[in-house]
Amino acid sequence: MKAKHGMAILLIFLGLLHLAVFAAGFLAPYDVAEQDRELPFAPPTRIHFADAQGTIHLLRPLVCLMAENSAQFGSYYEDTRKCFPIHFLVHGPQYKLVGVFATNLHLFGVDPPARLFLMGTDAYGRDLFSRFLHGGQISLAAGLLATLLSLGIGILLGTASGFHGGWLDAVIMRFGEIFIALPWLYLLFALRAFLPLNINPSQAFLLLIAVIGSVGWARPARLIRGVVLSGKERHYVLAARMFGGSGLYLMRRHILPQTYSIILTQAVLLIPQYVLAEVTLSFLGLGVGEPEPSWGNMLASVQQYHVLVSYWWMLLPGIALIPVFLSFVLLANALQARAT
Amino acid sequence: MRYLGLRLLQSMFVLLGVSLLSFVFVELAPGNFFDEMRLNPRISSSTVTNLRKQYGMDRPLPVRYFRWVESAANGELGFSFAYNAPVAPLLWARARNTLLLTGSATVLAWLIALPLGILSAARQRGWIAQACELFTTALLATPDLLLALGLLFMAVHFHWLHTGGMFSRESAGQSLWGLSKDLAAHMILPVTVLVLGSLPLLLKHTRAAMLEVLDSPYVRASRALGISRGRILFRHALPAAINPLVSLFGFSLGSLLSASLLTEVVMSWPGLGPLLLEAVLDRDIYVVIGAVLFSTLLLVFGTLLADVLLFAADPRIRTEDLA
Amino acid sequence: MKIRVSRLVVVLLAGAYLYSCAPAMLAQTTKVEEELFLSGNQVGRYGGHLVVSLRSEPKTLNPVTSLDGSSREVIAQMTGDLIHINRFTEDTEPALAKTWQVSPDGLKYTLHLRHGLRFSDGHPLDADDVLFSFNLYLDENAHSPQRDALIIAHKPISVKRIDAYTIVFGLARPYAAAERLFDSVAILPRHLLERSYQEGSLAQAWGLASSPAKIAGLGPFRLKEYLPGQRVTLERNPYYWQTDRKGNRLPYLDEITFLFVTSADAEVIRFQAGDTDIINRLSAADASVLEANQSVHVYDLGPSLEYNFLFFNLNTTVPAQSTEIARKQAWFREVKFRQAISLAIDRDGITRLVYRGRATPLWTPVTPASKFWIDTAIPHPPRSLDQARKLLQSAGFTWTPNGTLLDGAGSPVEFSILTSASNSQRTQMATMIQADLKQLGIRVQVVPLEFRAVLDRIFQTHDYEAAVLALGGGDVDPNSQMNVWLSSGSDHLWNIGQPHPATPWEAEIDQLMEKQLSTVKPDVRKHLYDRVQEIFVENVPLICLVSPNILVGSKNQVANFEPAILDPHTLWNAQELFLPGNGSSGRP
Repeated sequence: MKAKHGMAILLIFLGLLHLAVFAAGFLAPYDVAEQDRELPFAPPTRIHFADAQGTIHLLRPLVCLMAENSAQFGSYYEDTRKCFPIHFLVHGPQYKLVGVFATNLHLFGVDPPARLFLMGTDAYGRDLFSRFLHGGQISLAAGLLATLLSLGIGILLGTASGFHGGWLDAVIMRFGEIFIALPWLYLLFALRAFLPLNINPSQAFLLLIAVIGSVGWARPARLIRGVVLSGKERHYVLAARMFGGSGLYLMRRHILPQTYSIILTQAVLLIPQYVLAEVTLSFLGLGVGEPEPSWGNMLASVQQYHVLVSYWWMLLPGIALIPVFLSFVLLANALQARAT
Repeated sequence: MRYLGLRLLQSMFVLLGVSLLSFVFVELAPGNFFDEMRLNPRISSSTVTNLRKQYGMDRPLPVRYFRWVESAANGELGFSFAYNAPVAPLLWARARNTLLLTGSATVLAWLIALPLGILSAARQRGWIAQACELFTTALLATPDLLLALGLLFMAVHFHWLHTGGMFSRESAGQSLWGLSKDLAAHMILPVTVLVLGSLPLLLKHTRAAMLEVLDSPYVRASRALGISRGRILFRHALPAAINPLVSLFGFSLGSLLSASLLTEVVMSWPGLGPLLLEAVLDRDIYVVIGAVLFSTLLLVFGTLLADVLLFAADPRIRTEDLA
Repeated sequence: MKIRVSRLVVVLLAGAYLYSCAPAMLAQTTKVEEELFLSGNQVGRYGGHLVVSLRSEPKTLNPVTSLDGSSREVIAQMTGDLIHINRFTEDTEPALAKTWQVSPDGLKYTLHLRHGLRFSDGHPLDADDVLFSFNLYLDENAHSPQRDALIIAHKPISVKRIDAYTIVFGLARPYAAAERLFDSVAILPRHLLERSYQEGSLAQAWGLASSPAKIAGLGPFRLKEYLPGQRVTLERNPYYWQTDRKGNRLPYLDEITFLFVTSADAEVIRFQAGDTDIINRLSAADASVLEANQSVHVYDLGPSLEYNFLFFNLNTTVPAQSTEIARKQAWFREVKFRQAISLAIDRDGITRLVYRGRATPLWTPVTPASKFWIDTAIPHPPRSLDQARKLLQSAGFTWTPNGTLLDGAGSPVEFSILTSASNSQRTQMATMIQADLKQLGIRVQVVPLEFRAVLDRIFQTHDYEAAVLALGGGDVDPNSQMNVWLSSGSDHLWNIGQPHPATPWEAEIDQLMEKQLSTVKPDVRKHLYDRVQEIFVENVPLICLVSPNILVGSKNQVANFEPAILDPHTLWNAQELFLPGNGSSGRP
């Protein structure tokens, strides 16, 4: 009973998350490329539930104007004399919902000149919360795509290799080693340089991640092959074979289920790995290009020492990833529990 | 024995394939080492072209490949444009440092992951399991680079940790014990980052494998028969669960040279990482290909060991003779 | 008889006297090192160990083949040159050559070496070493990066030895900046390198792993030890030829260690931790963080010689398949288009956001760091979108109702800006330009590519539309930028290596630059160079953006620290640096 409830809750959470990322345009108050040159590296805006006179506004909280401290770059103070209420269902910058419907309706916002930065701003004065939501689109897509490719090819080749054995096993495993050893980085450089200059940066990145995912089949394949190797010698499998079960039947009914645990574990490990692979890629100049946001390039900016030291809110996107990955992990655990 | 011989032959094939394909990949990537000189207004383009010719970079790919194979047979593994020196000694001096780091980190990671994984599988509801779960997820969600920087940042503020390098200047000429202490002090941070980076994988797999085995009928039967938990865990469950772990171990071994690349760069550890990163970005191609080959050697050895161990550990596989 | 005896005695006595004095006299001639006196600097104390970080590992200690900045920084501490440019005053001063004369026609420079100098291994220096060194640099088969700087008017300089301490250098044309030629041209020890040269293995000599005994130079320090991947340590050169005001032989420091760090962030971290004493070329953001630290001092030296710019592909040879680029070049070639773009860019915003105010907006490649050469009469128009729009309109561009800019044929104006992904400042500048040009109705796509890919497109394939790059550094003298100004030059980025000047104004710049090359009088040269800058501003082949300030830092206790705008900014006077807290005050 408990497990079923737990799983339902998880599924709902993940569903909501994906919905939020999907509907990033609606939930985000600002456009991802909108630069506010007066407010770079601004801390998260404080939301007040009571105004200067002491009146409580529960349903319509207030946000006050932020101004730069002229003495020091990047330090701000709040001007509590000028406060503006937060409105819901406002008209803001244009965007395309689901990439198709053009609209300008946003869940919440404030009237200019006030700004509502829930997670603060980055070096250009762009709202980090909006960028976080939009960034999820490409990052989650990339992570899932690459994981699917890696696992898909890995399962195929791993089971073939383990089940058939003999020369096929040797060939596949040796190719796997070659694939692991090769410096794919150069291929990525070549691929990226080969793409036309005016390609959408997100598409370029998805292509690169697809390549990384496709060539990353070797490790899952090997793990699966190991399990299949021992799995096909189990007594019930041998028995089924004696009863005339074909290779495909044996695989589907008896052997593959033994690999579910490994596959789920791998999936749970690979998704965050590929999402975060972008941090490394941007280190080398292959990440998602400006001004498109992604979780990877938002995290990459925290690597700079002065950011780490002075602007704590830049870590918020990173910290927000933990519940996302946690839910994937818990889901995998739940699935695993159900399968066994 | 026939199996080993065959595997060695296949490994040669792998090495050859990797070297050839690496050459092709490197050729595909745009730009070459000498391009950066073009940004210097004081150097003329004819000097750049002549330097390219001097290093044989204007010859066709097959010619260059064969000259490189020749050089590899001589033990030089090609020539570095940047250092004007043969590649092999350059790499070996750094590879030693990397192996020291990753070797220690791997041993430590396995020493921590195995018991913790087994424990968290044995007591699923216990606090150890929950703590491990949270811990691994938090680690999974944090990129290695961020971890490394965070630790560096702490090191700066708490002056008891070194922020880079392998030996302090002051420790030159000290006794072996003094040098070892100095080395260990410098290794704390990078090893921590590496261990934290590889723990989630190991913990997860250990736990998953153990869980699966602990749920199987014969283990339940053993428990019903009254055999003690400890005996079940270590005599019956662990050997059966060892299958994926052996493969993982082979991989750990195989990636000893490549796993720590970025950690070394961020933590200024004088291993292959910083050398390789610069070589990749500068297109010092023979250094890169040489390093790839070193890594491949280790990888091939690692997987061979893993396969041998797999046969030794899992009697169910031994029944069929694999070529 | 008597007289003969007395004469004999006199002779004997004279002989005895001479014999006893001879060693002293001989010793005096070998000991008479004509040394530089340093004025204005504090007399220091001996001892101490300085630690400096290098952002990448040096690759070689061979001055003939060294290319990268880190190698050159270490080599600079180990070698000496004939005439040196004082990095602080930006003027030339005597170094290994104590005096020189110029022939009336300006074609011959006769340099006189100081007597009695020795290399760091004790071997004496004479004109044969100078001749040998220059032959190495000028050798066509060695392909030394130094060679091109020694070619004036397409002819390499000639070197002739007159006697043990006199050399004559010959030029093909009178050259105003001839003295500056000798700076950083290291004089090499013939006794150590001649064999390698004759065997053809010169390029492999003096690699980092060489034993210190095989390397000798005339710089303040010599090699002590090298740990691969970690650090290289130099120790004091006991034969160094400079002294301070009081006659104490320099350098004061016992040792200098260069620590290799792998990134700018790691460098700042180690400086904060106290592992290094000096940090070179800080970013503005890191400088702000360090300023809060009381035990270090951050210096803002003002604008550097580096200039960042946006430019368009005006090459006549573009890849045949890029019809898009050829079509867009019609816009790029229009002068008013470029001027409009220049007017629309928010240079103040860039200075403020990218460099925290520690940069100077630019309109020509000559930065305020060249105090003598900058043309102060050039106008600096403030940002004006209206003016930009007017210019575009007069060039035949129109706007759609929703603001998109259209060209004369009715197609929307959009292009991509290439930038190096590894340089965050230039990527930031490109992103800001993208937002600026959006206000003009131009859709810009920023394409950060890996650095080598960018270079490949700009120099080889010409497959790009616009790019943001930076050049400069070198020297204040205009001749260091010849390859940028000349239309046939290899760094004439917007249209590289033209066989003939593509436009009349480029032809004019060619003539002016050639003329100032041979002019000797500084005010005539300045007049010519001012005219070059004026033509540049009228035609804007490069839309100059900003020049970042030079920011360096040092621990408070590093004394005689005088960072300068020319490279190497912090260690150009390493021989004068000392650490008052460490070391004894006696002689070494």
